[in-house]
Amino acid sequence: MYWRYCLKRIIYGLVTFVILIFIFSALFNTTMEKTLRAQIEEEIRAETLKMDTRMSPEEITHFIAERRAFKQHLYHLDKPLWHRIVWRAINVLSLNFGKATIMKSSAGESDVWGIIAECLPRTILLFTTAICINIILGLWLGLKKAQKAGGLMDKTTSIGTMLVYGMPSWWLGMLVIMFFAYKLRLFPSGSLHSIPPPSGFAYYIDLLYHMTLPVLTLVAIGFWGSSYLIRNIVLSILQEDYIMATRTRGIPERKVLYGHAMRTAAPPIVTMALLSLLASVGGNIIFEGIFSWPGLGNLYWISIEQNDIPVLMGNLFVTTALYLAGLVILDLIYGFLDPRIKVGGRQ
Amino acid sequence: MRWDDIKEGFRNFWQEFKSIKFGLFGLFLLFIFVIAVFINAYIVPFPEASKRWRDITYWEDNPVSAPPMWINYFSSMKRAPSSIISEYSLSEEKKGNLTLKKVVFEYKYLYDYPPIDIIFHCQIEGSPVIILSIERPDGKVVTLTKRAISKIDIRTLRISIGNDARAESYNFGIKFENPQQNRIERELIKPIQILFAEAKEGILVNPSFLKGTYKIIADIILPGLKDQVTDPSLFISGSVSGWLGTDSAKRDIWSGIIAGVKWALLIGLLTAFTSVSIGVIFGVVSAYLGGWQDSLMQRIFEIFVGVPLLPVLIVMSAIFRPNIWTMIIMMSCFFWVGPVKTVRSIGLQIKEETYIEAAKAFGASSSRIIFKHMIPLLIPYSFASMALYVPSAIIYEASISLLGLGDATIVTWGQILHDALRGGAVINGLWWWVIPPGLLIALMGMTFAFIGFAMDKILHPKLRTR
Repeated sequence: MYWRYCLKRIIYGLVTFVILIFIFSALFNTTMEKTLRAQIEEEIRAETLKMDTRMSPEEITHFIAERRAFKQHLYHLDKPLWHRIVWRAINVLSLNFGKATIMKSSAGESDVWGIIAECLPRTILLFTTAICINIILGLWLGLKKAQKAGGLMDKTTSIGTMLVYGMPSWWLGMLVIMFFAYKLRLFPSGSLHSIPPPSGFAYYIDLLYHMTLPVLTLVAIGFWGSSYLIRNIVLSILQEDYIMATRTRGIPERKVLYGHAMRTAAPPIVTMALLSLLASVGGNIIFEGIFSWPGLGNLYWISIEQNDIPVLMGNLFVTTALYLAGLVILDLIYGFLDPRIKVGGRQ
Repeated sequence: MRWDDIKEGFRNFWQEFKSIKFGLFGLFLLFIFVIAVFINAYIVPFPEASKRWRDITYWEDNPVSAPPMWINYFSSMKRAPSSIISEYSLSEEKKGNLTLKKVVFEYKYLYDYPPIDIIFHCQIEGSPVIILSIERPDGKVVTLTKRAISKIDIRTLRISIGNDARAESYNFGIKFENPQQNRIERELIKPIQILFAEAKEGILVNPSFLKGTYKIIADIILPGLKDQVTDPSLFISGSVSGWLGTDSAKRDIWSGIIAGVKWALLIGLLTAFTSVSIGVIFGVVSAYLGGWQDSLMQRIFEIFVGVPLLPVLIVMSAIFRPNIWTMIIMMSCFFWVGPVKTVRSIGLQIKEETYIEAAKAFGASSSRIIFKHMIPLLIPYSFASMALYVPSAIIYEASISLLGLGDATIVTWGQILHDALRGGAVINGLWWWVIPPGLLIALMGMTFAFIGFAMDKILHPKLRTR
């Protein structure tokens, strides 16, 4: 049964992705074509400069017109609108994002996919580390809160949750940089590693050192919310009848909490962890720009600053794919942990 | 559900709400914010901040990157704050057609660090001659600048002593300075510091400042009867300024912050209201209709759920350059998915109630059942989720503005932070520029979180205690 559920969910995810790509292609068609036309003109100018100088002006105009027609045909610009949109969507789906106008990857290539592929692992590294620490701390605090719900600790930390509820992570990042990096000079103000990067084991130490500040900021913002959610999840489970039954059987409270309540709480907590990871992709992403952490979020900053539309769009497509993949994985794990889900309500 | 029932429901809700302290605190904060919007003009020194935030002429008198006034309380070195001196003593003398006017401003300087600049303002008509000079507490008089105005009908005159009296203050200072030991280029001197310094060696390079009453004197010569000089005033551009200091473009941050309250409330409330309304109606309709319509609506919902919000909003803002209203619409377009799932499940329960069946039996139309019998039951839930959506709407707008993609005709907290980031506030430690806008975003978020969580607590009594 489970594999059928998996297959269904994956297909759903893929279909949604394709539909979204089509929508994006249609929505941003005008801008992307404008960039493409400008790129074509640029290429033709480069070609004419390299050409034989003995050609007459008529020949040159003829040549330019011919080349332009050829390139426009190559990029399907001479086709009707719907054709162009479909063509672009298919291009995107086959990871062919075109060429960046200005930006280059560290290898010196201007291929958009190359630039993005370089940034992707860094984003994943930063946010997963932060979320892992976040969940461990949240679990610890949330269980404490649930055990003594309504107590002093519960109340104060709940107020803490509300205090950081509307706080932008990037703002806290700005403060943290101002204080720890420029005032106390304890940590670097940003970027992935020192320049030049040290080799061997020292490289990883250096990476950790550079990661400390952004991760701390993300955790400081995040773990309040996760502890509050975990508290609510565990608390509502502790009120179930079967917990009461275990308690009447004389099973120690620790065992009730960790053995019985946690088993039921696992699926929603895993969901929550993944959801906050997804929320990071969807919401915290420009946080990277503050720390100049060269991931996908920073790429948004740079591509907007340099007005590099192909990179911007490519980045959007990749982020969308990542986000949707996350949603699918979420459902798969949820179905795995909670057998009621995969059967479905309809049968 | 009748109107009276709703009123009754609200009364009960309020009774419960009253007992939750942090909920009341949230309401109190919201009340303060709303009040701040209405009395905006009376609590800020620059009431046109909202309209003229990017107009450099509106801010030209302020000091650059000055810390807030109240740091004097925490520092042993007292800095001169910004102020306007509009009181002056006037003496007049007539010689035929010629009129000689003497305007004297008194400035009590009792600080350890002088202001950045002193700016003389007046309205002029015709072609008067204005001579500015300063009389120091030690009795020395320095002529600062002479201005002969050519004939133009009416206009305002602005003389910045810090800029226009450079040569004169250098000449004044060099008399006391030991030129062999303390050499300094004329371009590098700080005129106001020299004018406020004790007349002794070191005046140009390392001045110690002279406390006392300084008189700034404007001698005005009016050659004709038609010539006039009115409304003279003196602006002290302090080395500390205002409640929250100024930014690197001389803007008063307190005025900007207060101007931003209005926009934050507007963005937050309007986005939350439209998106939750859409979401609730969508969810209920989907639950009520059922069958293929329900599946279709759920597929549409799933597509919207798959959209990574911030990236899409960033790209859309970068490409379409929205103003504030289109931004609110854009956000509402994606925010509505939030409450749908919960609303649909509640709707599925309500749908099975007998009174809905009874309404159907009476031949009530679908829209009547949905809007009259189902949605009113969801109003408390909608309000709770609306309150919790306000902070995210504000954060999203701030994030987009932080990237420099906001509406350039208004001033929001995100835009102030964008300027702070661009203006090097983080690197130079201009904390008064970075902390307040973000703190206000957090405070506004907290306000609505308090209200929302309090409502949540009433709606889910299970979570209160064990």
